[in-house]
Amino acid sequence: MYIFEYLQYGFIQRALLCGSFIALLCSTLGVLLVLRRFSLIGDGLAHVTFGSVALGLFLRVYPLYVSLPVVMLSSLGILKLTQRARLYGDAAIGIVSSVGIAGGVLLASVAGGFNVDLFSYLFGNILAIGKEELYLSIALSIAVLAVIVLYFQEIFSMTFDEEFARVSGIATERLNTLLVLLTAITVVLSMNVVGIMLISALLILPAVTALQLARGFRTAMLISASAALASVVGGIFISLALNLPTGATIVLTNFVLFLFAFAIRNLRHRRLAS
Amino acid sequence: MPASIIEALNLSFRYNGIDVLQDVSFIAVKGDYIGLVGPNGSGKTTLIRILLGIAGPLSGRVRLFGQDLGDFSDWSRIGYLPQSFPSFNPYFPSTVEEIVSLGRLSGKRFPKHLDRSDHEAIDRALHLLNIDPIRNALIGELSGGQKQRVLIARAIVNNPDLLILDEPTAALDPEAREHFFTLLRRLNADRGTVIILVTHDVGSIGEYANKLMYVDRRIHFFGSFEDFCSSDRMTSLFGANSQHIICHRH
Amino acid sequence: MGRQTFCRLSVLFLLCFLVLSCQGKGTATAPGRLAVVTTLFPLYDFAKNVAGERADVSLLLPPGIEPHGFEPRPADIVRLNAADLFIYTSPYMEPWAQVLIKGVQSGKLEVIQAGSGILPEGNPSVPAHRHERRDQVASGGPEAVDPHIWLDFANAVKMVETIRDGFIRKDPAGREIYEKNAADYTEKLKALDEQYRKGLQSCEKRIIVNGGHFAFAYMAKRYGFRYVSVYGISPDAEPTAANLAGITKILRENGLRFLFHEELINPKVAQMLSKEAGVALLKLQPAHNLSKEQLDRNESFLSLMGENLKNLRTGMQCQQASSKP
Repeated sequence: MYIFEYLQYGFIQRALLCGSFIALLCSTLGVLLVLRRFSLIGDGLAHVTFGSVALGLFLRVYPLYVSLPVVMLSSLGILKLTQRARLYGDAAIGIVSSVGIAGGVLLASVAGGFNVDLFSYLFGNILAIGKEELYLSIALSIAVLAVIVLYFQEIFSMTFDEEFARVSGIATERLNTLLVLLTAITVVLSMNVVGIMLISALLILPAVTALQLARGFRTAMLISASAALASVVGGIFISLALNLPTGATIVLTNFVLFLFAFAIRNLRHRRLAS
Repeated sequence: MPASIIEALNLSFRYNGIDVLQDVSFIAVKGDYIGLVGPNGSGKTTLIRILLGIAGPLSGRVRLFGQDLGDFSDWSRIGYLPQSFPSFNPYFPSTVEEIVSLGRLSGKRFPKHLDRSDHEAIDRALHLLNIDPIRNALIGELSGGQKQRVLIARAIVNNPDLLILDEPTAALDPEAREHFFTLLRRLNADRGTVIILVTHDVGSIGEYANKLMYVDRRIHFFGSFEDFCSSDRMTSLFGANSQHIICHRH
Repeated sequence: MGRQTFCRLSVLFLLCFLVLSCQGKGTATAPGRLAVVTTLFPLYDFAKNVAGERADVSLLLPPGIEPHGFEPRPADIVRLNAADLFIYTSPYMEPWAQVLIKGVQSGKLEVIQAGSGILPEGNPSVPAHRHERRDQVASGGPEAVDPHIWLDFANAVKMVETIRDGFIRKDPAGREIYEKNAADYTEKLKALDEQYRKGLQSCEKRIIVNGGHFAFAYMAKRYGFRYVSVYGISPDAEPTAANLAGITKILRENGLRFLFHEELINPKVAQMLSKEAGVALLKLQPAHNLSKEQLDRNESFLSLMGENLKNLRTGMQCQQASSKP
C-alpha cells in the first residue's frame, strides 16, 4: 500500500516509536492528574517551561538545564499552593502558569531578542525526533511507568482517599511529591520532543476517554494507555493518508475516540434504564 | 492493668485562632466500646484526626498500642471510617471490590500486591456487609447507604484491633443500621476490638457502646453509662431530659 | 513580618520602581538628523546607505524575531509618532504596517512603501506547482504572493530608488546627496547581480532545497534554478509527514549533498531532514531580520548576500572561480 512506503523513513519510524512511549507515559500519569483535578497542569507547566527557557537563554545556559529544575520547583509550588493556600488544583496551576509566561515575556523583552524564536522551544515536532531524543523518551517512559507499576496500589489508594491512605501507613506526602516531580520532568522533556499541543492533549484526552468506560481503576489505566497508543499510531497513519499535520491529527483522533467512548457509555445507560 | 490501646495525653489544637481542643487526655483499653458524642463543632472529628495522625496537635502526645504515634507503623491493626463523604469524586472509576481491597494495603509490604489471603478477607468483608451482589458496581452508581457500607467494609477488612468510625450510620436505613451494630458488637465482644464511634445519634448510643465520652473542647465525661446516668453533674450539664434520653435505653 | 518592617519595605519598593521607570529606553536622535524607522533589515540597510549622515535609521523588528509572526506593540506606535520617515515593504510582507500607520497622529510622518511598483505585477515569477501528488512540497502556488521581493536584485534596485525618492520628498535640501548615495549603492547591487549570474552559471545541480520557508522564488527565477522549501510563504503552517517524505525523496532523487536552512527558524526539522537524507546543512538567509550576533557584527545586506552566494555555489556544486564579494 502506498502509505506503507512511508514506513521506510527513519523520521516516521521514530515518530511511531517515540510517540508510542510518550503516549503510554502521559496517558497513565494523566489518569491520576485528571482524577485529582490537575488536568491542566501539562499546559501550566508548559508555560513555566517557556519562562524557564527565556531564563536559560538570558543566562546563556543551555535551556534544558534551567528548565528542568525550574519546572520541578514550580510543580512543587503548585502542590504547596493547593495544600496551604486553600486553592483547588486549577487555580494553583493558573497562578504558576501566568507567572511563568509573564516571566518569559519580561525576560525576552529585557534581553532585547533571542536568536531563535523563543516559541520554537515550545514546539517540538513529532516529525523531527532525533535518536538521542528517542532514547531519552524511552528511558523516561520506562522510569515513570516503573514507578506507577511498583506503587500502583498506594497511588490508587491515595488518589481515591488521601486521608485514609495516610492512615494505612502510606507515605502520602512523599508519594505526592514524587508524582508531581515526575509530571514536571515528563512535561519538560516530552514538550521538547513532541511539542506543547501534544503533551497537553495526551495528558487529558486518553484519561477522560477511559473514564467514560472503565469499570475499575486498573481498567481505567489500561483503557487510557490503549486510547493514547491508538491515537498516536492511528493519527500518524491518518495524517500520512490525508496529508494533514501530524500533531493535530493525533489530537483529533483522540477526540474522536473520546466521542465513541461517550456514545458507548450513553448506550449502556439507556439499556440499563429500559 | 489491661494494655492501653490508645492514649491521648494533653492534646490541644487551635484553628484560625480558636481553641478547638483543650487539654484532652484519656486512655482506652481492650474491650472498650466508646460512643463519642458532643455538639456540632465540638472538636470530635478533629480529635479523631489527631489520634490517627492525619492532623498534628498544637501540643500533647498520642500513643497507639503503647507506641508513640511518630514511631507507630502497625497500621493494619487500625480501621478507619472517615466522616467526609462528599469530598470524594463520584466519578471515580473503581468497583466496590477494589475500594474494599484498599483496606488491605496497610498490612502489606512493598511492592504491595494482593494475594489469595487478601481476596479471602475481602470476600468475607463484602459478605459481612451484604454487598456481595454489588461487588462489581462502580462506586458512583451506588446509593448513599451502599457507599457507606463499602467504606465500612474497607475499614474492617483487616480485622482491626482498633476501629474508629466517624458518623458511620448517617446514611444507613434502619435494617442496615441494625446489621451494622450487630457486626460491631461481635467484633467488640469476640475480639475485644476497641471501637470509638462518633455519632450524633445520642439517643441510641447507649444500646451499643459500653462507654461514653462527651467532648466539647474538653472531655467533660468519659466513663461507663452507669456512671453517666447516676451523675448529678451530668444532669446539670445536659439537663434531666437529655440525660434521660441517653440513659433510659441502657 | 512586623508592620514597621512591612511599611519600610513597601516604601523602598516604591522608590526603586519610580527610579527604574524613569530610565526609559529613548531613541535619541541627533539634532538636525531625520528619524527613520524601517521594518525589515534590507530596508534598514538600504535607507542607511541612501541617507548617510543625514538620518538616524532604526529597525522596528527586534533582533532574532521571525518577521512573519511579528505583532507590533504600543511602544512601536509611539516610536513612529516621533519619526520623520517610515519605510516598509508592502502590505503582503507587513500586513501589520497599516495598523501602525493609522495610529500615528504627528502629521509629520512620511510613509514609503518600498515595494510599490513591484508587486503584484512581479508575481508571475513565483513557480506554480500543482498539488497533484501527495508528496508535493510547499510552494507559492498560483494564488499566494511571495513578498520577498528584495531577493531579486533588480527589485532591490527599484526599492532603493523608491526610498531615495521618499527621502527627497521629505528633505529636498539633501537631494544631491541622496541621489549620489543611491547611485553608488545601486551600482553595488548591480555588481552583486553580476556576481550571482556568473557564479551560478555552470552548476552541477540546478535545484536547491530549503528547510526554511518559501522565500527565494525570485532569486531562483532570476538565476534559473528550481527551488523547493519545507514551509510555505510563512513558516507558520506545519509541514506534514508527507511533505517531509517528499522533500527527502527530492534530495535523494537529485543526488543533492546539501540542504539549506535559515537562521531564525527552529532548526529541528532541517536537522532531522539532513540526517534522514544524509546531507549537510548550509545557511541561506532571506535577510528580512537578523540575529543579535549578526547585528552586533554589523553585517550588511551585501555581505549577507555574498555569504548566500558562497553557500549557493557550494550547494549547487558550481564550477568556475568565484568573483570577489
